[in-house]
Amino acid sequence: MEAVLWFGWFRADIIAEYAALFWRGLQMTIGLTVICILQGTLLGLALGLARLADARHSPARELCRFGLRWPATVYVSFFRGTPLFVQILLIHFAAMPLFVHPTDGLLVSGEAARELKQNYGAFLTGVVALTLNSGAYISEVFRAGIQSIDRGQIEAARSLGMSYGRTMYHVVLPQAFRRMLPPLGNNAIALLKDSSLVSAIGLAELAYAARTVAGAYGRYWEPYLTISLMYWVLTLGLAYVVRHLEARYGRGDTR
Amino acid sequence: MTLLRQLLAAAAIFACASGAVLAQDKELVVGSSATYRPFAFENPNKEIVGYDIDIIRAVAQKAGLKIKIVNTPWTGIFAALNNGDVDLIISGVTINDKRRQSYDFSAPYFEARQLIAVPTGSTAKGLKDLAGKKIAVVNASTGDDTASREFGKTNPDIRRFENTPTIISELANGGVDAAIGDNGVIAFRVQEHKNLKTVDDPSFPKEYFGIVVKQGNKALLDRINAGLAAVKADGSYAQIHRKWFLTDAPALPAK
Repeated sequence: MEAVLWFGWFRADIIAEYAALFWRGLQMTIGLTVICILQGTLLGLALGLARLADARHSPARELCRFGLRWPATVYVSFFRGTPLFVQILLIHFAAMPLFVHPTDGLLVSGEAARELKQNYGAFLTGVVALTLNSGAYISEVFRAGIQSIDRGQIEAARSLGMSYGRTMYHVVLPQAFRRMLPPLGNNAIALLKDSSLVSAIGLAELAYAARTVAGAYGRYWEPYLTISLMYWVLTLGLAYVVRHLEARYGRGDTR
Repeated sequence: MTLLRQLLAAAAIFACASGAVLAQDKELVVGSSATYRPFAFENPNKEIVGYDIDIIRAVAQKAGLKIKIVNTPWTGIFAALNNGDVDLIISGVTINDKRRQSYDFSAPYFEARQLIAVPTGSTAKGLKDLAGKKIAVVNASTGDDTASREFGKTNPDIRRFENTPTIISELANGGVDAAIGDNGVIAFRVQEHKNLKTVDDPSFPKEYFGIVVKQGNKALLDRINAGLAAVKADGSYAQIHRKWFLTDAPALPAK
């Protein structure tokens, strides 16, 4: 292909040559991020509630403590206390083969395992690793959000005869959610950027496309500047969505 | 006459001395990616050892160069050379025309061929049989070039990883149908997995590894080539080859 120089410096032709890789990479990055934001938020909510679980009388009291609070605390501590990159490698090359392996997988084995690994192996790892990781961070957002709601409101709701679940659903979470939106948006943006780490296990997302081009041509400005701009546009889009949600759900606050 | 002779002698001594000072003062940094057993890898004492390392040490000794070996990740190794972070690279780099456009190569120091690794049950006889199969390669390696040329560089069935151990793990875990890499490393790694075997495609051309310097660094390249010629002439090349590959060293072309 003829070398195309933009501004006498930017080799646009090598990006054009790999356009298919960048396009599929963009779709993969967006898909991965959306799935993980949704799953991570649900996991975060569950973990956040588990970390706050308490009961007044035995044995429910002990059950909450050892069966919910402690495991959730250890989980959050592990996933926030170790690098995401290490978690990805650990899940892909160590944990996944244990569960999904053509010869002796614990969960899936045989031809099904081969099919699964070959077509969705890296994607599956990416989804699992990013969900588990962001779930840990998001659980802290939920915990802080719930704890920021005045105790008196919970006491008032309970004394009106509302159950714990209904108190949470009707009184606490709607208010907490409003306060949690900005940090949740932060987490979503961080997740989008962190998805680039999954390129290490051969998942063809944006960073993988750039790495492939950089490797093939030994040129670094073109591929990495290209995906930087693409990530930037994506995070701007996410920030816009979050701002919109804040305006929508914050309406009740302004009178 | 005596005066002239004295002057000449003085000039000769000065020239020798300044030449020696140049060579001794500047410690050359050698970049090598130490995930490439048996060419370059870290032993338990954190020292980088291997065939490449033995060769470059022997060459440096013959050429009177002072060197320091720095473990440089393969992905950034050419960028490190471009930036001047390393002065030369010895890291199982195959000499090819594309790379010759950007870098200068020494005479060959190893004869390499591409080798395919597949599960023992596979019936593949060569590259052509891998059409439609998932193939793991090391990003920007000769194996990547081989697969990209045959199946298209943006083909999603080509999975690019960071190093040879990961492509073999991916294959052993059932994530891909085949892996393509350099004969020395692939053969070595396949021995470690009893469910894998190697397939030698006779159509793969002979290739050679060369030491890489920045384009136009003729002074350094000449000294490396002189050292390399001496290493081949006095039998150290044959001895180092036997030490790492247990086979007799093939004769290498001088250019």
